[in-house]
Amino acid sequence: MTTVSVAGLQVSYGKRVVLDDLAIELGVGVHGLLGPNGAGKTTLMRVLATVLRPDRGEVRLLGRRIDDRVGLRQARRRLGYLPQAFGFYPRFTVREFVEYFAWLREMPAARIPLAVDRAIERVGLLDRADDRMKHLSGGMLRRAGIAQAIVNDPRVLLLDEPTAGLDPEQRVEFRTLLRELGCDAVVLVSTHLVEDVAAACARVSLVDDGRLVFAGRPEELIAAGGDGDSGDSPIERGYTAVLRGARQVSR
Amino acid sequence: MRRALWVELRRGTAPFAALAMFGAGVWVLAVHPDDWAGRWAGLADYLRVSLLVLCPLMVSAGAWQAGRERRRDIGELIAATPRPGWHSLVAAWLAVTLAGIAGLVVAFGGAAVLVARVATYGGGDWWQRASVGVLALAAASAGGVLVGRWVRLRVVAPIAGLATYVGLGILTYWNAPPARLSPADPPGSAYSLVPEWGTGLQVTWLVALTALLLAVAVRRWRVALLAGAVAIAAAVPISTAPSWYRAPADPAAVELVCTSSGPQVCLTRVNAFLLDEVAAVAQPILARLDGIPGAPRRAVDQAVRPPGASVAEDSDTVWLGLDFQATVFGGLVNIDYLRAAFRQMAGIECAYSLEIDGFDQRIHQADNMATDWLLDGTGFGVGGASAGLRELPPSAQRAWFADYLDAAGRCDLPALVRLAEQP
Repeated sequence: MTTVSVAGLQVSYGKRVVLDDLAIELGVGVHGLLGPNGAGKTTLMRVLATVLRPDRGEVRLLGRRIDDRVGLRQARRRLGYLPQAFGFYPRFTVREFVEYFAWLREMPAARIPLAVDRAIERVGLLDRADDRMKHLSGGMLRRAGIAQAIVNDPRVLLLDEPTAGLDPEQRVEFRTLLRELGCDAVVLVSTHLVEDVAAACARVSLVDDGRLVFAGRPEELIAAGGDGDSGDSPIERGYTAVLRGARQVSR
Repeated sequence: MRRALWVELRRGTAPFAALAMFGAGVWVLAVHPDDWAGRWAGLADYLRVSLLVLCPLMVSAGAWQAGRERRRDIGELIAATPRPGWHSLVAAWLAVTLAGIAGLVVAFGGAAVLVARVATYGGGDWWQRASVGVLALAAASAGGVLVGRWVRLRVVAPIAGLATYVGLGILTYWNAPPARLSPADPPGSAYSLVPEWGTGLQVTWLVALTALLLAVAVRRWRVALLAGAVAIAAAVPISTAPSWYRAPADPAAVELVCTSSGPQVCLTRVNAFLLDEVAAVAQPILARLDGIPGAPRRAVDQAVRPPGASVAEDSDTVWLGLDFQATVFGGLVNIDYLRAAFRQMAGIECAYSLEIDGFDQRIHQADNMATDWLLDGTGFGVGGASAGLRELPPSAQRAWFADYLDAAGRCDLPALVRLAEQP
């Protein structure tokens, strides 16, 4: 079932077109969003997170258009978002921080304490729940950020570079969490780490120069690569092959 | 909202605001305890005057709190949530405001305990005056929130505080009707009653101003328009009404309480806690004057005739000014200041208006001898001449002083010169 639908999306920063006539359909499951720097991944994530209004195009989250106020508010209640540049209040404890975002997401007050504990437990921070945010390491902060994004059991979860700062063991745990979350929600993970996509994602989309140049399963991306393509792993070779092909077509 | 408020109270700017307001409160109270000691209305008015310092602090706290999202780069995360922006802003403002007020209440609560120990008048409108001051703090933090939200400058909080201090200072010391819009403008004296409509207008003005500032901060333009209209409707009559200083006296506050024995010393009820100390100074002086024609027979608190009250002047009475004369424990700050009231009674005002060339120094000597005798040598010693007067028999000393009062009353300068040479 498609729960995120984007059609004819165009976003510009000044005269520079960042997303150009982009269309994408996402259903329940974990989706990887790949692309080189400046391809438009973060811009797409920001549009889907409803913090950036597109110049043109239609965006539907959970079947609702987000250009009307009522639809937008309802969609945001079921949305979880971890931006690339993740800010936090250093004096808050992890529990208070997640609790604060549960409140901002208009969760029923009675559900908040349990939901907060569950979210913190899922990211493996329960033993640090009462530590102040300023005392956490970079990886722990990222996990706290993920906890606030999942506290409301979102139907659409947008994670922009979620594994940045996580050590290998934490990344393995995080992939397990992603697969778990993807059972009943649309999870879109923007990342440079293609191995994460190969390991955790059911589908992958590749954006280059503001356009969607590939959408399919990781195996299909792997299959697109050949021995002559650069990359240390099959999926990296598929990634570079697709990009090269897309750029040749555009020339 | 309660959950967010609780978190903000513990982890936001609120604890710092509470601490700053407590420290500032203690400091302002310690600077001039004589302004508020022993009088509830004095304490309430002192709170109002202190707003000159306290409001800038609240503005800074509000601005710092409101700029937090930007400083911490968390705006995008919050923008993706469904809760309307004004909810979190109001929670943050409320936390800073409540904490700041709590810090101040602790400081002024300590002062209130000291006042309660000695105060002899608890009526009047002091409670309303203090409440208006508290509302002003809420308005100040709302102003800070507005500035912090709109101005993208990291040092906006101290700058906004400083600007508020300067602005309030100008408004407070500007002797013009709009100055009454300043909450730091004291509403009256400790002996007067501000009319209820006046307090009501001030409350309306400050509440509407707070709503206006918060509404503009969150871009709620309709609410801002409504609040702005109410604020203007309240501000116009405040700034065009007669000065609060002309507010009528509080009859119960200026009711006289007198000594039951010895020469009569009467203080207003609001100053009656000083009666024993004042009597200890005034009664010996009045006793020396007893029976001397033209000499005052009693000493009365001049607060009995505050602005708006009419009490006739009479030569039987020495008026005592007791404003700024109480210590926090109910004593007198400066006995000499009280004695000065009697010295003024002995003064020859008409002689001092003469040109220097035409002034005979012996007139001045007679004046000082009279003061020295009146204050029993503890006033202004004039050496041998005064000693000569005190060597005379008591009846002759009293006769000399009676002649002095008579000559001074008529401004008979030759007679005063003779009196200076007489002993």
